[in-house]
Amino acid sequence: MADGKIAAVQAKLQSESREFQKLESEMAGVIEARQRLDAQLSENQQVLKEFGTLKSHNTIFKLIGPALVPQEQGEAKANVEKRIEFIKTEIARIEGQIKEHEGIVAKKQDEIITLQREFQALQAPSKA
Amino acid sequence: MAEQQVQITDLDPQQLQEVKKQLDEELDHLTNSFGQLKQAQAKFRSCMSDIDELTPATTDKEVLIPLTSSLYVPGNLGDVSNVIVDVGTGYYVKKTRAEANSHYKTKADFVQQNLDTLQKTIERKQENAQSVVQVMQMKLQEQQQQPQKA
Repeated sequence: MADGKIAAVQAKLQSESREFQKLESEMAGVIEARQRLDAQLSENQQVLKEFGTLKSHNTIFKLIGPALVPQEQGEAKANVEKRIEFIKTEIARIEGQIKEHEGIVAKKQDEIITLQREFQALQAPSKA
Repeated sequence: MAEQQVQITDLDPQQLQEVKKQLDEELDHLTNSFGQLKQAQAKFRSCMSDIDELTPATTDKEVLIPLTSSLYVPGNLGDVSNVIVDVGTGYYVKKTRAEANSHYKTKADFVQQNLDTLQKTIERKQENAQSVVQVMQMKLQEQQQQPQKA
């Protein structure tokens, strides 16, 4: 009977570990997305900084497909500002996701540790 | 953070191996980034020297314009005082030669700053890795000597 229980706990432990690994890789994906957004944000901020130093003779062109199309400085600036705004809200959203995920991962970890203890406790008497 | 610090001498060889592996991975990543930054900097610098090639004397000079990597058409330099610079995220800006030059200079300097900090980080990591290896060797020697004593 004890053997049956050990097997059951072991199976549970295995499936939980698998789930944990899945969660971890999901977490890695979210973190990667966060890093990508960071890179985009700093690139856009650089562009905005560049726009700030322009004089009236510096025409701005926007790359649309293979063509460079002239664009009003004010319009280009507003566009980039809007983009930065958007990226910032995206970052906030992803941050939330990361927090949420961290919670889930920690919970899973606790569950696994409890299972491991249970497993060890079940095995100990059989050794003695 | 100092309170949380673990003495590497307290770790067993297996843990040390793990630490070493992690440090090696980090070093790999950092040296990779270093190379990429160097490349970017070289690109900016070559842009600067390209701008210097354009002088009032080169006005109307004939050039070959690449349409693809293997197809060229002849053209004449109409405007040598202005260039169009890629400032990122799909935006291009028309600048005078001097402005473009200073733009690339700022970029190259900015990259240099990053390179300097990165260099320091890499050196620190290398030192860390080295001390881990030292401790590892020490432990191994200890282990080899112990059975002889017994």
